Formats: sequence, C-alpha cells, structure tokens
Amino acid sequence: MDILIYGTINSVTLALYALGFALVYGVSRLPNFAHGAIYVLSGFIAWSVINTLGLNHLLAIVITMVVTALIGSAIYLIFLIRVRGMAISEIIASYAIALAILEGLRWKGFKGMTYTLPVFIEGSTSIAGVSVDYQRLLVVGVGAALVAFLWVFTHHTRIGLALRGMAQDERAALMLGIDSDVMAVVAMGLGSMLAALAALMLLPLGNIVVESGYNVLILAIAVCIVGGIGSWAGAVMAAFLIGFAQILTVVYLGAHYQMVVALLAIILTLILKPSGLFGQQKELEERV
Amino acid sequence: MLEASGLMVFYENMLALNNVSIRCASDQIIGVFGANSAGKSTLMYALSGIMLDIRKKEEMSGGERITMAGSIRFDGRELINEKPSRRARAGIVLCPERRRIFKESTVLENLKIGGYLATASQAAETLDFVLRIFPALNRLKNRVGGFLSGGEQQMLAIGRALMAQPKMLLLDEPLLGLSPLMQAMLMRATREIRDERKIAIIITEQYARPVIPIVDHAFILENGSAVMEGTRQELMDNPDVRSAYFGI
Repeated sequence: MDILIYGTINSVTLALYALGFALVYGVSRLPNFAHGAIYVLSGFIAWSVINTLGLNHLLAIVITMVVTALIGSAIYLIFLIRVRGMAISEIIASYAIALAILEGLRWKGFKGMTYTLPVFIEGSTSIAGVSVDYQRLLVVGVGAALVAFLWVFTHHTRIGLALRGMAQDERAALMLGIDSDVMAVVAMGLGSMLAALAALMLLPLGNIVVESGYNVLILAIAVCIVGGIGSWAGAVMAAFLIGFAQILTVVYLGAHYQMVVALLAIILTLILKPSGLFGQQKELEERV
Repeated sequence: MLEASGLMVFYENMLALNNVSIRCASDQIIGVFGANSAGKSTLMYALSGIMLDIRKKEEMSGGERITMAGSIRFDGRELINEKPSRRARAGIVLCPERRRIFKESTVLENLKIGGYLATASQAAETLDFVLRIFPALNRLKNRVGGFLSGGEQQMLAIGRALMAQPKMLLLDEPLLGLSPLMQAMLMRATREIRDERKIAIIITEQYARPVIPIVDHAFILENGSAVMEGTRQELMDNPDVRSAYFGI
C-alpha cells in the first residue's frame, strides 16, 4: 500500500519536474537545459519574497511564478534566440545559463541547509494505514489540476491552440501568421512558470539546495525521453513509469539507486525505442 | 494588389527563380503552371515569406546558402524583408503543397488554429463559410486530421488558410493526387471563394487543364523563369502550351 501511495506521489513529482521541459521542447524544439536551474532559482525567489519582503504565502506564490516566467522569457529573448536552430549550441548555451544561475546562487551564499520554504498546510493524515503529510497530498492535487488546466488551455484558447499548431508543424503554423519567436517566448515563460510551480509545491518538503537543480534537469530529461520527446501525454505516462520504478527500487534495493533508475531508463529507451514510448506517430510519419 | 518584380532565388549557385515578375489584382485568380522543379513552390515560398524561414534554418544548421532578391509590393507596402507572420497579418496566406495539416488535431481544432489572426466574430463567420463551401467537413469535425483522405485534407487545408482572413490566398498544387471529381469540386469552391469573399488567388499546378477554366490570367514557369504569360484564351490558343500543359 505504501508503494502505491508513495509511488503516485513520486510520479506526480516527476511529472511536475518534466512538464515545463516537455512544453518548451514540444513547441520550440529547444532543449532547455536551464530548466533545473530555473526551478532552484524560483525557490530562492520565493524564499526572498517571504523572508525579506515579508509578504504572505499566497502572494509570494503569485509573485514568484510571474517573476520566474519573466526570467524564462528573458533567457530566450536575450540568449537562446541567437542560437536557435543550432542543436548543439542550444544545449551548450542553455546549460551554460544553468551553470551561471546555480553557481551564481552558490557564490552569493545561497547554500547549505538553512533555506526552507514553509509548507501550505501543517500536519499529516493516514490513508489505509500509511501516514502521508498534507503537503504531499497537495502535490498530487496540484499535479492533477495542472494536467487538467493544460488540457483545457491547449484545446480551447487561442494561444494554447497556436502552441499546439507550432508543436505539430512549425512551417504550417508560420503560414497562418503564428510567429515562431513569439510562441517560443510564450513557451519559455509558461515552461518556467511550471518549473516555479513545481518548486513551490516540492521544495517545502525539504531544503532548497543548489545541487537539486542538476537532479531535476536529469529527471525531467529522463521522463521526456522515455515518454517520447515532445509528447505531453507521453511525459505524464513516463513519469508514472519511472516514479513507480524508483519507489520499488527504494523499497527493494536501497534509496541511493534512485537516480540510477532514471539514467538507466534513458539508456534503455535510447537503445530499444529511440522515439520514446509514445513517439510512434512521429516515427511512422518519418518513414512515410 | 500584389506586384512582385525581379524575384530571384538562389540555392547555393543554382538559380531556382530567375527574375520572375508576377501581378495579381484584388479580384483575380492567377494560374502558375510548370513542370516539377520549375520553381512553383519556390515562388510560393518567396511570396509568403516562408523562404526567409527556410534560409534562416539553413544558415543556422550550416546547410545550403540561399540568396534572394527582388521586390514584393502588396497593397502599396514593400514586403520582401517581412517575416512570414507579418505577411500573413498583411493578408498573404499560403496553403502549402502536400497540405501540411495538423495531423494530431481534430478538423475543428485545425480550423481554430487557422483562426489565430481572426477576431472571435470573424472566426465564427469564416467557419460557417468554410463549412458551407466544404459541407463534407461538417461530419468530420471531430475526426483527427491524420485520418482524413487526401481530398478531405485539401479541403481542410484551404479552410484553415481562409480562417486566417487572407486578402490573397496562395494555393500550392491543391489538386496533387486527387480524383478528377474532387479536383472539379475544389476548383468550383476556389471560384466561390474569390466571388464571395473577394479574395485574390494565385494557384499553381503542374497540369493546367482542371485549373484553366477558373483563371483570369496565367504564367508559365520553366526552369525558374516565367517564359510566357497571358489571359486564359491566349494560353489556350498557343499550340506549345496546349501540348505541354493541357495534354491536348
């Protein structure tokens, strides 16, 4: 039973990490290696807003998400727009930005175990004999709400539909007056906002540490590769696959193998089915 | 309305479009005929600005060097250096070769994505028009685009382009691979689009026969050059054109 509950929580956590990355890649074919750094950065922004400005929690969340979205868009407009289309340079540039953000934070003294965000609701409950704290339940709730929100957004709003058009066939979208750079800015903004949301939900469960930026990036990439890169539904499925695999490893092998599972998933997927579990349609198209 | 002059496009040192000039008034249907690789699609990409995007992609990935020259005046504005999205906003919308519909979205979603530039009332009104000239799309509304037949995809592609509120519609080989019945239907619909919406249309095709009844004026492209132009009757009367493009 605890495998089921904690597996679900872990899976939703992974989905939260990955959705922003999958969104940006799906729309702009831009592997945003600064995703993990943006996640950590938003944690420190929230910490600063709460502790130095002394604003209340809900307001801090809104401010953090907006500021992070602006930072993400700025990263695209200032840096990534110049290397767009050069695959290797995109990776190098975005990873350099990640290093700059993370090591910059470390240099400024944001390190160690002293930085924590408050949880939304204190306390815990027990489900079928397994004790779970409210924050973790909230994570699952927010994850489900987010997936529902994204579905509505991408099926019923003008911008959301344009994002999907751009994701499916960039050139056809261009012909309809949808601008590639505008959509990339929107996607980076939205993707960064999702990273911030993930950080705000998940960081209260532990400390804000710079190193987690790298882990988040690797987990996000693992989920996206297994799910079939660019496929959002695939990303959610893959999050559950890896999430449960990780929890099973923790229970039967030991906690320190968690990261190995994610990395192994990347390797196995690339060897056995490079297009990912849900990339069949793309694969077929390429063959035709 | 549209006046393109001296259009040149080079792929590396290969001349794909050689000093082509083309005009289209606001109520005209213009035909552009030519064999494979005559430069029809290159012309369409140059007019719609997609060539700028192709050039940028090639440049970034270290591929072919593409060079362009010439002038495209549309409603008195020079557009040669404008991005495709700006040209679509100005009113030039391309319905591309091989249709390029969004295969994972439903028919209705395809049309809604096409309506990105339209206001809500324009989109609703255009949607009604599209479903009226292509009634077959009505019952396919919720079908995923990738599962449509070629003719249905073509109707959808034209409908989607109309949703972007064009003043000038560029149709690149709309009849490719379709049955004669479907071809005739699409040409009727094309004429209706011009007559009812006052949209100017440039249509390219390899084989001129199904298209010629609806065009006012036509150009013939050969190896990147416009070798001949004339009214419908002038082309029909030319024996070389008749044998090469009408198969008579």
